[in-house]
Amino acid sequence: MKIQIQGVGKEFRVRDAHRSFTALDEVDLDVRAGEFLTLVGPSGCGKSTLLDLLAGLAVPTRGRILLDGVPVEGPGLDRGIVFQQYALFPWRTALSNVEFGLEAKAVPKKERAERARAHLDLVGLRGFEDRYPHELSGGMRQRVAIARSLAFDPDVLLMDEPFAALDAQTRESLQEELLRIWQKTGKTVVFITHGIDEAVYLGQRVAVMTSRPGRIKRVLDVEFDSREGDLRADARFGEYRHEVWTLLRDEVAAARAEEAVSVG
Amino acid sequence: MASVSTGVPAERLPSAEAVSVRQPTVSGTVPELLREAVEEASHGAGTAPGAALRLLRGAARVAVAVGRRTVAIAALAALWEILPRLELVDSTFLPPLSEVLAAWRDLLLSGELLDHTQASLVRSLAGCGIAVVLAIPLGLLIGWYRPLADLLNPVLELFRNTAALALLPVFVLILGLGETSKISIILYACAWPILLNTIAGVKGVDPLLIKSARSMGLGPLRLFQKVILPAAVPTIFTGVRLAGAYSILVLVAAEMVGAKAGLGYLINYAQFNFRVPDMYAGILTISALGLILNQLLVRLERRFSTWRTS
Repeated sequence: MKIQIQGVGKEFRVRDAHRSFTALDEVDLDVRAGEFLTLVGPSGCGKSTLLDLLAGLAVPTRGRILLDGVPVEGPGLDRGIVFQQYALFPWRTALSNVEFGLEAKAVPKKERAERARAHLDLVGLRGFEDRYPHELSGGMRQRVAIARSLAFDPDVLLMDEPFAALDAQTRESLQEELLRIWQKTGKTVVFITHGIDEAVYLGQRVAVMTSRPGRIKRVLDVEFDSREGDLRADARFGEYRHEVWTLLRDEVAAARAEEAVSVG
Repeated sequence: MASVSTGVPAERLPSAEAVSVRQPTVSGTVPELLREAVEEASHGAGTAPGAALRLLRGAARVAVAVGRRTVAIAALAALWEILPRLELVDSTFLPPLSEVLAAWRDLLLSGELLDHTQASLVRSLAGCGIAVVLAIPLGLLIGWYRPLADLLNPVLELFRNTAALALLPVFVLILGLGETSKISIILYACAWPILLNTIAGVKGVDPLLIKSARSMGLGPLRLFQKVILPAAVPTIFTGVRLAGAYSILVLVAAEMVGAKAGLGYLINYAQFNFRVPDMYAGILTISALGLILNQLLVRLERRFSTWRTS
């Protein structure tokens, strides 16, 4: 197992109330080495919190997270994160952004540029090395961000709704490309999304979360003979999609009810 | 990781996605416009008539742009010349522009103007320079250390809302009439915009960038060096530019109190001795100085914040 999440819970203290806020409750999940796992759940179910815990940016209140059998104790270059809002450094060019993690890893300067260039190539951005983020479209920015997270060669890629802010067409082409990159690099990918289609399309396994406090409701194996061509037209795609949809329906309703209570 | 091959399917090439091109700067100066015109001309260097036409078109564009920029100034100059000559205003108090310019030339030739300008520049640059050296590190410290910011905030609010010139008598009282008090008051006035902008720049760094850098294992020191500082640079330079303007404003006032040289002194002294054209010559020099300093700082600021989207 690459990642083992064991009985993990996370509570936040609410500033002006005495009670605390439970974001995650008893999450158990194993991620195999080299697999593409998508994590889908209703909004506010703690998906992003779970990702922060995996990244080591936050500490679980209960339980533990093991990476290669060793407890996660902070951020590190063995995990790369791709955020929904790209998080590129606007004062750095595309190339220099990709080099950032390599600088953190103390890779020699010459090798840095080489590796950064290779990874921009990998995401289809050859010729855009010297552009600044504001000179790139949303899709291209996210490509740079993906290249940046891959360049320092982490074992695990953590992606937090990376394509949610993109238009449908760009999203589809990036999904396709992500699969290609994943197959090529053999990374373990944990991909958070609220899109059912996206979860089924990308994931070898789809983990469905409950509404808050988040738990893993079910983990679904998604198997296709081949992912080539128009996968979404495959009859089995529809079946998987429906299955995830059914699992999520009650949770979304529960999340709505909760929201209505806290608002009203 | 394995080396990466180049095969990218054509339909995924990013050129298919919209690329926002860097916007042309809105307030291009004349040399910039000229360069643009020449560049535009050299683009079509393939055919000679085309190039000539482009050059012509470029030249016309420059002429129009220059005309648009100078028409208001020219009108003002003409009014200044004509109104006193037609006795519509008293030429004793507002001599025609030509007389003022003649006085300016005499001051320049006698070397008097240069001496005053030099004295003023030294004070202004010294005060502003020291302010930069002191206020930026202090601002970084205050912005970075939240407890310190909370502690100092009320004091900062109090001082920033106290007009610097109101404190001029205090400076003179404590530091005397010499250079020290003049440079000090300029230093004081310049320090505030720099300090406040630096603090704001550090505090205003996008938390997501910090999170992203932290996820790559950066410790506090490197986070500061690689993320906080570069992110804050444009805001800091805005402060420096404001400080440049303040330095000239405060300078003139400071030089009107017990100075023996400087443009402020020249203006005040000329008025006192009824050398009215000299007074206006001094005022014009101050305006020009402020304009040049501001232009320089605007350029510097732009250089350091090309990445900032407008």
